[in-house]
Amino acid sequence: MSRFDVVVIGGGHAGAEAARVCARGGARVALVTMMREAIGRMSCNPAIGGLAKGNLVKEIDALGGLMGEATDRAGIQFKVLNRSKGPAVQGPRAQCDRDLYSAAVRAILDAEPNITVVEGAVTAVSPGFVVALGDGSTLHAKAVVITTGTFLRALMHSGETRTQGGRFGEPSAEGLSDSLRAFGLELGRLKTGTPPRVAKDSVDFSRLEEAPGDPVPRPFSILTDALPQPQVLCHLTYTSDAAHNLIRSNLHRAPMYSGQIRATGPRYCPSIEDKVVRFADKERHQVFVEPEGLEHPWLYMNGISTSLPADVQDRVVRSLPGFEQATIARYGYAVEYDYVNPQQLDPGLQVRGVAGLFLAGQINGTSGYEEAAAQGLLAGINALQFVREENPLVLRRDQAYTGVMIDDLITLGTEEPYRMFTSRAEHRLLLGCDSVYERLTPIAERLRILDRERLRRVEARISRIARAREVTATPLTPDKTTLEWLREAGLSLSEKSSVERLMQRHDFDLDAFLMRAGTALPKVVSALRELTEEERESVVSAARYSGYIERQRREADKVSADEELRIPATMTYGLPGLSREMTEKLSSIRPASLGQASRIPGVTPAAIAILRMHLRRSVDVR
Amino acid sequence: MNGSLTDTIVAPATPVGRSALAIVRIDGPQSSAILESLGCSPLPDERHAVFVRLKKDGELLDECVAIRYLAPRSFTGNDLVELTLHGNPLLVQRVVSAAISHGARMAEPGEFTERAVVNGKLDLVQAESVADLINARTPLQAKLSLSNLGGSLSETAGRLREGLLYVISRLEAALDFSEEGYSFIERDDAIARVDESLNGVQRLNDTFRRGVASTRGLEAVIIGRPNAGKSTLLNRLVGSERSIVTPVAGTTRDIVRETIELGGLPVTLSDTAGLRDSDDVVESIGIDRAREAARRADIILQLIDATAPDEEPVETSAAVIRVYTKSDLADVPEGELGISVPAERGIEELLARLDAVVRDQFVAPEGSAVLVNERQRLAAVEAESALRAARFSLADGSSEEIVLVDLYRAATALAALTGGISNSDVITEIFSKFCIGK
Ligand SMILES: Cc1cc2nc3c(=O)[nH]c(=O)nc-3n(C[C@H](O)[C@H](O)[C@H](O)COP(=O)(O)OP(=O)(O)OC[C@H]3O[C@@H](n4cnc5c(N)ncnc54)[C@H](O)[C@@H]3O)c2cc1C
Ligand SMILES: Nc1nc2c(ncn2[C@@H]2O[C@H](COP(=O)(O)OP(=O)(O)O)[C@@H](O)[C@H]2O)c(=O)[nH]1
Ligand SMILES: [Mg+2]
Repeated sequence: MSRFDVVVIGGGHAGAEAARVCARGGARVALVTMMREAIGRMSCNPAIGGLAKGNLVKEIDALGGLMGEATDRAGIQFKVLNRSKGPAVQGPRAQCDRDLYSAAVRAILDAEPNITVVEGAVTAVSPGFVVALGDGSTLHAKAVVITTGTFLRALMHSGETRTQGGRFGEPSAEGLSDSLRAFGLELGRLKTGTPPRVAKDSVDFSRLEEAPGDPVPRPFSILTDALPQPQVLCHLTYTSDAAHNLIRSNLHRAPMYSGQIRATGPRYCPSIEDKVVRFADKERHQVFVEPEGLEHPWLYMNGISTSLPADVQDRVVRSLPGFEQATIARYGYAVEYDYVNPQQLDPGLQVRGVAGLFLAGQINGTSGYEEAAAQGLLAGINALQFVREENPLVLRRDQAYTGVMIDDLITLGTEEPYRMFTSRAEHRLLLGCDSVYERLTPIAERLRILDRERLRRVEARISRIARAREVTATPLTPDKTTLEWLREAGLSLSEKSSVERLMQRHDFDLDAFLMRAGTALPKVVSALRELTEEERESVVSAARYSGYIERQRREADKVSADEELRIPATMTYGLPGLSREMTEKLSSIRPASLGQASRIPGVTPAAIAILRMHLRRSVDVR
Repeated sequence: MNGSLTDTIVAPATPVGRSALAIVRIDGPQSSAILESLGCSPLPDERHAVFVRLKKDGELLDECVAIRYLAPRSFTGNDLVELTLHGNPLLVQRVVSAAISHGARMAEPGEFTERAVVNGKLDLVQAESVADLINARTPLQAKLSLSNLGGSLSETAGRLREGLLYVISRLEAALDFSEEGYSFIERDDAIARVDESLNGVQRLNDTFRRGVASTRGLEAVIIGRPNAGKSTLLNRLVGSERSIVTPVAGTTRDIVRETIELGGLPVTLSDTAGLRDSDDVVESIGIDRAREAARRADIILQLIDATAPDEEPVETSAAVIRVYTKSDLADVPEGELGISVPAERGIEELLARLDAVVRDQFVAPEGSAVLVNERQRLAAVEAESALRAARFSLADGSSEEIVLVDLYRAATALAALTGGISNSDVITEIFSKFCIGK
């Protein structure tokens, strides 16, 4: 019998982060997972990041998590999405070599002496915490983090055939669902799908559009100086009428349409069947062809996720330009699995009423590696804090996308797999990737989960940027020649003005400025030259959008009073004046703050007013 | 606002005074229990009128008709009891005290309506309309309040908001799904749609002058030289000898006010001190007041004595009607309106002119949305400024997330207008700053 501080169940993206951060914080951790070699495996597409998801990865990096590091080690095409828009909505994304990615995650975990990896399937968790494995052995832990992804009572569908399993070639997890129910948790069913993989050597690339990455790839992690992998191309192709007709005439054979799957899939990740039915007037759908790796023989067909039978998949794929001779190496399939309604969790991702039991990742109704990893990190931090007997970490909505996501999950619940979008964050301008270290690293430092090197780099970055902001904000007293030069450059700089003012202009060109201003404004130029390209862009955009950013800051501050009015865990809602409906809603979600209560759908302002009055009164009494 | 929202409150719902009937309302969780303690046992079914002999300590208070409304199907959204008593203030007072002795609290002014708003039974605009309806003094005013109570302002603002959501959702999609190869909305289209919303909001803002005039009524001020016949005219229009009339210049000193109905609205006429240079301290103060009243007036009747035509200029943005008096004694210049009170000449014509000015410039168009108070105007002004900013940043090529900041601001402002309340602090703010409801 082995004793640990924390047992993490599941070696996916959530589990890896949870285990790593607990170990970093000094806890003794067991990571139990079904297959050691599947640790950090990408179940679906070989890419990390993207819009809003990229922000999650940066937040993980700022808090000392591993996803950014692993991505940099395995990334084979880096691209910042929304590059033409402001930094608040830019999303870094990287294509990864899937084998290198999971190898990187394993290497990072292996480097932690506090982590013991246990290969095996957990069949039950019981109070106290006793974690029972399929081979009859047991582990004991003060805290448990469950991150079982798509595996709980999982069923894979491919056309008419059904197989038990959480991912191709991997078994499902039976038994654990019953333990969760025994803890009083209510479970639901969700589904998600994956597209077919095509053999690379059967494709005529000359007929595909090339989709290159950024000319100068930008790493995710502040720890990365140089990206180790060569950079490669992705490709684009499009569906046509031929494919759409094929799909339409075979709809009755798709499990979602035949009624074989009843669970809900994500609206924003529709299968090609869904796209053809719901957007019938669209002439073509884009297919983004991603390499599964540098040497990997397969291609990932992003955009035609499907669970149609194999023969239909063959014909659909072969109707795509460039794929006339293509052979499918693995057919697309859908997976259906148990999830836990996340409204049963507290803001620290702990099961309400079961101290020390945390859930993270797809089991909470989300979808996506980044969503899973960010939750895993937070659940890990809070398991660690639980073991340390210290306060849990809750990130606010104006502090991190991770905060937005967790608040949404526990407050609104989810009926389809939850994915992060920038539009879910009402204070979006405050949550850009460029400000992530300033916002979050100090928190991680206080939690004693940071490595020295990361802290050193973050501090250096923050002070570099601060210096640049300072010199650019300082009013200039330009001499005649400078004024002359600026006028020549098309920049009329009045006296007492600053470079910051220049930056606010739409036509400000930083590169041209740096090239020409060297002799005239040496201090400003040298401070700016010390920055990386990304940091420079951040300084310019902070100057340009300062009015908007300040306004969002004020709006966020306005609502923060309600966030700080905490509702005790022992709260009973039989308050005079609260209708039965409100009482039921509030007692089922059990919001942690008045702010959270006000976001519960259907809770009326009247109920909030009553609650506020009650909370204020009890604060006064104390 | 003041009281708690959770206890039981009681108040007469009809004005104090003798009348055939008077209504007392009890609202809150204990309302049924109080009704029972007052002798109504067994309790009647919901929404069934029953005859009750109200008693306190065995003593008969009154015979009444009681109706019980259960949450949420009541005006306030809470359990509510309505007692229809005989209209004697003394009886009403005794019943209210009895309810209080059984645990109710005297309601604050406007508290029933506040509860209705807080419970989502009325939106704010509708609540304000309730107050306006109660205060309406002419049938036209009542009609306007009813139209807003029926939701015509809420509907208009709601439509504007929907139009905005159309643009917002597409700009959001352009941010979150930029890689999908779709074009969600063209800039030109977005600009055109924002322009459309902007027009709508501007039209709404333009209704404010009429809306306020229509709910509050108008101020008309009579000015002119001493002895021009101002007091004489006021008395004639009011139909009684309100102002003292003498041949002595400087008779009227303080302002005399009286309200009549013109063009469907209550119009308050003010008779003022004649404008001239005066050494008399009291008269001088009166003259200053006259000028001040003229500055704030909606309508000015500028009287000129036809026997000694001489105009005193006044500063004003009001609608000015020039009237020559004493047309029985002297000729009135070509094209000018002349009147004579003793000869009863030109009065009909003057009334017709006033009527036309009120209708053309002040009456809100029937059945359409109008802004009727400062709170609504502030919301619409905020929406307008946000939309202008959004339009500007759309046109100068700013990225969607920047444009969206202002579009959300506009949508939020419009939500405040329809009373779609998102934040309970807004309510507290409104009820503390603006006195609304009954
Ligand atoms: C078919 C398929 C399609 C997908 N499609 C999409 C998509 O379209 N878009 C998208 O964003 N995401 C998609 N994903 C989801 C994405 O893979 C997950 O969101 C992400 O991997 C979740 O991470 P996780 O850490 O929660 O769980 P996972 O990555 O699923 O990892 C769970 C781990 O737990 C282990 N485990 C489970 N149960 C036990 C047990 N009882 N005992 C021991 N170990 C256990 C498993 O072996 C596995 O290693 C898809 C996944 C699958 C399988
Ligand atoms: N003949 C005639 N006398 C008038 C008329 N209007 C007012 N007067 C007289 O003019 C004098 C001054 O009138 P008054 O109304 O007091 O003037 P005021 O100072 O402007 O208020 C009084 O003696 C009135 O009787 C009019 O239309 N015709
Ligand atoms: Mg007079």
